[in-house]
Amino acid sequence: MDHNWDFASVLANKTLLLIGLKNTLVLGSVCLALGLFFGLFVGAARFSGKSWLYYPATAFVELFRNTPVLVQIMWFFFAFPIIAPFKIDAFTAATLGLTLNTVAFSSEIYRAGLQSIHKGQWEAGKALGMSYWQQMRRVVLPQAVRRMLPAFMNRAVELFKMTSLASVIAYGELMYQAKVVSTISFNPIEMYTSVALIFFLVLFPATILVRRFEARDTFRR
Amino acid sequence: MTEVLRIEGLHKSFAELEVLKGIDLSVNKGETVVLLGASGSGKSTLLRCVNFMEIPTSGRIHLEGKAIGSARNGRVAYAERELTQLRSRVGMVFQHFNLFPHMTALENVMEGPRTVLKCDSSECRRRGEKYLDKVGLGWKADAYPSQLSGGQQQRIAIARALAMEPEIMLFDEATSALDPELVGEVLETMKELAEEGMTMLIVTHELGFAYTVADKVLFLSEGSILEQGTPAEVLTYPRQDATKNFLRGHNMFRLPEPQID
Repeated sequence: MDHNWDFASVLANKTLLLIGLKNTLVLGSVCLALGLFFGLFVGAARFSGKSWLYYPATAFVELFRNTPVLVQIMWFFFAFPIIAPFKIDAFTAATLGLTLNTVAFSSEIYRAGLQSIHKGQWEAGKALGMSYWQQMRRVVLPQAVRRMLPAFMNRAVELFKMTSLASVIAYGELMYQAKVVSTISFNPIEMYTSVALIFFLVLFPATILVRRFEARDTFRR
Repeated sequence: MTEVLRIEGLHKSFAELEVLKGIDLSVNKGETVVLLGASGSGKSTLLRCVNFMEIPTSGRIHLEGKAIGSARNGRVAYAERELTQLRSRVGMVFQHFNLFPHMTALENVMEGPRTVLKCDSSECRRRGEKYLDKVGLGWKADAYPSQLSGGQQQRIAIARALAMEPEIMLFDEATSALDPELVGEVLETMKELAEEGMTMLIVTHELGFAYTVADKVLFLSEGSILEQGTPAEVLTYPRQDATKNFLRGHNMFRLPEPQID
């Protein structure tokens, strides 16, 4: 290879990259928190078996699961402002796209987790005189969440990688910053190598953590 | 004698299938009543109607002289709050134990007093330890269900129900899922409860247990009580053909009294 690797231009712009990393983490964290929060309600609606909750929730989930995230982000940035009565900046559009996508996926994790708990557990709580929410809170969720954790952590890793898609609407996350800098300093090879490395260094420890959770036996079974 | 439980004209249907076809039954304080019958005869459904795990299609259930639900236009309506409250006064033991796997033995037993009765933590602990000791498993307080044998798990499930200090205990085939050598310890625990004057309604296939412990035995067939009486009457001198066939099936292969001590 006759390319002369030179990371000096990357280091010279490290402040811009750090801003990008910060924005990546902000976008990812906000979307993760919102997505997991609203996902619980959508998942519970799908779990409930009540048709007036089930069908709208299912329609939502299928819509967001079966369209590309990149398209969702672009749509919220370019098309949504036409029908929405307010201004939408890049951060809001990216947040909407990624959050709704995370809601759709995490709701499935919640639903599957709740369904995996044997009905005898609900019955045991009920027979003691617990209300539906007491059964949920004391008996079912503590067991279900333990089973959901690996899936949620996988989802979080996926989400942080997907934040790079927000670069297409000029949100200043890591990927966008790298693109801007590389067009000025003509160093795309070193720049994108660095971006990959940064993502890896942030996400790899998280993946290790996921594996630790998956390996750990719950309740010493 | 005070009547703890009275069931009047109980019907239960699942869609087209009529499982219970008019059951009348009364259980007095301190009595042990055993329900027998082939599978599909409706005995489990009857038991599950008593604490409203299944809502009766029609008929009335009285606990301690008070009718559950309110009758309106010939139908009985049940408020969820009333049923929740009723269930806290009726203990139930399941075939598959259904212990909470994320809690230790002691936490399992404390859970009802804590979450439902809102006892303070010292009272919860006192009750938890008392009833664990009662089933002889105080020494397993910190064990998780997965670390215990089936027999131990079922005894803890009994303690969990007892900790609510219920007016009546329901046993739904409590020994059917156990390995044969573990059945004895659970039946022994149930027998002790009966002797201490607990009111119990038991679905079981353990005829020997029914004979020794029950005050009254009922034989269910196709959703109706076909025959009832003392254990000696029903189990040794059955009158109905269905009862005779049922007992014949159970006694087809029988050991002579084993010579062990």
